[in-house]
Formats: sequence, structure tokens, C-alpha cells
Amino acid sequence: MNKEILRMTQSSIGRKWIVAVTGVLMIGFVVVHMTGNLQMFAGTPDKINGYAHLLKSYPLVLWSFRLGLLATAALHIWGTISLARENRVAKPVGYAVAGRKSRLQVTLTSVTMVISGSILLGFIIFHLLHFTAQMVDRSYASMETVVGGVTMPDVYRMVVTGFSKPWISLFYVVAMALLFSHLRHGAASVWQTFGLRDRNSAQLIEMGSWILAAVLFFGFSSIPLAVLFGVLKL
Amino acid sequence: MKLHLRVWRQASRQSEGSFVTYEADGLTPNMSFLEMLDVVNDRLTKEGQEPIAFEHDCREGICGSCAMAINGEPHGPNAGATTCQVYLRSFQDGQTLTVEPWRAKAFPVIKDLVADRSAFDRIIQSGGFVSVGTGQATDANAIPIGKGIAEKAFDAAHCIGCGACVAACRNSSAMLFVAAKVSHLGLLPQGQTERKQRVQKMVAAMDAEGFGNCSNQYACEAVCPKQISVEMIARMNRDYASAVVDQI
Repeated sequence: MNKEILRMTQSSIGRKWIVAVTGVLMIGFVVVHMTGNLQMFAGTPDKINGYAHLLKSYPLVLWSFRLGLLATAALHIWGTISLARENRVAKPVGYAVAGRKSRLQVTLTSVTMVISGSILLGFIIFHLLHFTAQMVDRSYASMETVVGGVTMPDVYRMVVTGFSKPWISLFYVVAMALLFSHLRHGAASVWQTFGLRDRNSAQLIEMGSWILAAVLFFGFSSIPLAVLFGVLKL
Repeated sequence: MKLHLRVWRQASRQSEGSFVTYEADGLTPNMSFLEMLDVVNDRLTKEGQEPIAFEHDCREGICGSCAMAINGEPHGPNAGATTCQVYLRSFQDGQTLTVEPWRAKAFPVIKDLVADRSAFDRIIQSGGFVSVGTGQATDANAIPIGKGIAEKAFDAAHCIGCGACVAACRNSSAMLFVAAKVSHLGLLPQGQTERKQRVQKMVAAMDAEGFGNCSNQYACEAVCPKQISVEMIARMNRDYASAVVDQI
């Protein structure tokens, strides 16, 4: 059994499956993450603060989830790097004249997957340092609020304070644009890797992944933009 | 009609190649691309120069020999056509055309426009066959096959192994070729005996030949002279996973 799994993880298709499965898991995560974030618009800071407090009140669940997500991301990155490196070796010389993009189905989002993915990794590290480790702005650690008699971190205040700086908001929006680009191709590709894409479903899959990517872009970006334009304030 | 050609000339596998410019004159729009090369080669031969080496055989779009990229597009500008089926009326009088061999590590150039595509043969050897009982030939239609399955298998069987999919792919992936062969045999009842081993062996052979990996951009489907659908790749991805799961 182990030998077969090992052989699959070394094959081209096996690694594509790994990248696709981990990609789907991370898409699931960002959808939940965005839904949670949108509680910023609930009208009262208590809503998102209570939600954040709830998540943090089960440390075992939280940390299992975090480690699982870390392993998922690591597998996704390992898979893509190993595949992309082989791809570069497999095409040592290109054509002197580039064929028409329309004929060769070249799309900007599909040829920039490694770039958009790498910048997103950088963004995720910054994002974790920003709100999770709270190392970008040390004052977050002292932001607290009381909801229903319970003292808890004031997430709402951290978010509004953080996004009041235009360069931080801009960086978040640009990163979400890259997430759009990455998922526009990635979310459509998983159907092909899972063997579920055919002539009849192709258009629906392409459109669906575009919509998913756009919803995530607008959902996530709405928060820094709302802070910048004064819709969300302290 | 007149064309300016920039043709890749390379004396041997080891030597370095370069582009050489030729003027092709006295052409007619109804000549095929290969006939145009014949005209140029005739002149080169008469002038005592080495003619341009290129592969050709049937010249009717079914053998898959005439492998070359015209202006960076495998088999030239037309959908669903091999180079031999591309006619000069597809180009403008006086146009400059850059003609190159397939570019892929797994398809090393042997001479001029000829690339060594024997990697495909080795992939076929690894699993592109079916087991049959020897002895008296059975009746051709002894095994009933549903219309839908027969059509789908035939769609895959159209593959002529020309290598345009690899040539067009940014990653030089051979997935469309291998998927066409795996699906062609895997769909038919005669191919069921080796179905699970076939997909694993052919994928392993493909990986060993140094082809790249599919990144789902489907240039292969766009240039395939037989218009084989990337559905075949989806099918192979599924088949491969189920073959692995079966062994666990």
C-alpha cells in the first residue's frame, strides 16, 4: 500500500492531484474566512469580536486546524514547485516567433500562476504577522473590549486601525486581486485534474471559477476599502 | 506568389542550429506548404546545396509525419489541419514565415525540421496495446459495443501521434497524446484487461521521457490536427487515480 502511494506522489498526475486537493481545501478555507470577515459589517463590533473569541476558546481545535492548514499549504507549494521545475526543464528552447495567443489559448492568469502564488505566500506571511502575531503594530495586543461581561481582544478596532493606513489597505487589495487571478485559473483547473470537466461542463466551470474568484475579491477587499472610505469606523 | 522563409537549419543532433533565409518564388496559392518546401528544395539541390530536411509521408493528414511549427504555431495557422493540409492561400503574398522543428527536451532535433519523436513509441510500448486470443480470427463485430462508447473511443483513436500537443505546450507535456491512447483502449471492451496497469505504465513512461506536466491551458487541444478534446486528459486523470486507489 505504502509503495503505491509513494509512487503516486512522484508521478506527474499524482502530484497534480495533490495540488488540486490542497487547492480545494484552501479555497474552502478562504470562503469561510471571507464569510467570517463580513461580520465587520454587522453594525456592531460585538458581532465579529464575539466570533473571534468563539474561535479562540477551543485552543485544541484551533491549533489542529492551523497545523492542518499549514500542512495543506506546504503540500500545495511543494507540489507546484516540483511540477513547475520539471516544466522549465522540459521546454529548454522556445519558438523564435511566438504563436498567436488566441490560437495557443494563452491567458494572463494561467501563465502567471507561479508569480501570483508566490506573491500570495508573501502576503499570507505578512497577514499572519499583522493580525495573528500582531508584530506589525504592537498596540493591537492591548486592544480589548467587553462583550456580555467577557473581556476579549477587540478585533474590530485592530482591523479599522490597521486599514486606516492607506499602504496597508492598498497591499491587501492588490493581494486580493492576485487571489482572483490565481483562483480564476486554479479553481477551474481542479475540475480537470479530478476528471470532472468535459465539453458540456467546460463553459460552466470557467464561468463558475470566475464568479467564485470575483466574489472572494470583492468580499475580502470590501473591508479595507470600507475602512479607507470611512464606511467602517471606530 | 512569393514567400520569405526563415528556416531552422541544423546539421545533426550535436551541432548548433540557426535560421537561414530563403526566398520562395513562383508559388501558387493552391500549393500545400510541403509542396512549397519541395520547390525550395528542388532549387537548393540544383544549386548543389543541402536541401531542407523535413518529415513527410502520406501528405493527406493521417500519418502525423509533417511535424513543424510555422510562425510559432505547430502545423501552422489553421485549426484541425496538419502541415501538409495547409495551403499557401492561408498566407499573404510576400509574407515572412519562420519555420522551426518541434521544441521539447523529449523531442531532440535530429536535423533541420526533423525532431526525434521515438519517445512516443516507447510510451506506446509501455502499455498501448490490448491482449487478444490468438488462433482463428474472430468476427469483427463479435463484441457488441454501444454507439456512445464506440464514438468516444473513435474520437480518441483519431490521434496520429504527430506531437503537436507537446510542441504547443508551454511545458512540453505529452498528456493529450497519452490520454488519447489510454482513453482509446480503456473505453473499449477489448482494452479492459490491462486498463488499470496501462494507465499507470503509460504515465510512468511519459514521466520518464522528460515531458513536462499539464498546467491546464489546453494549447494542445487548440493545435491538435485531429481536434482531440482535453476531455481525454480529464478521463486519464480519473482513470489514473482509480487505478492507484484500487491497489491500496
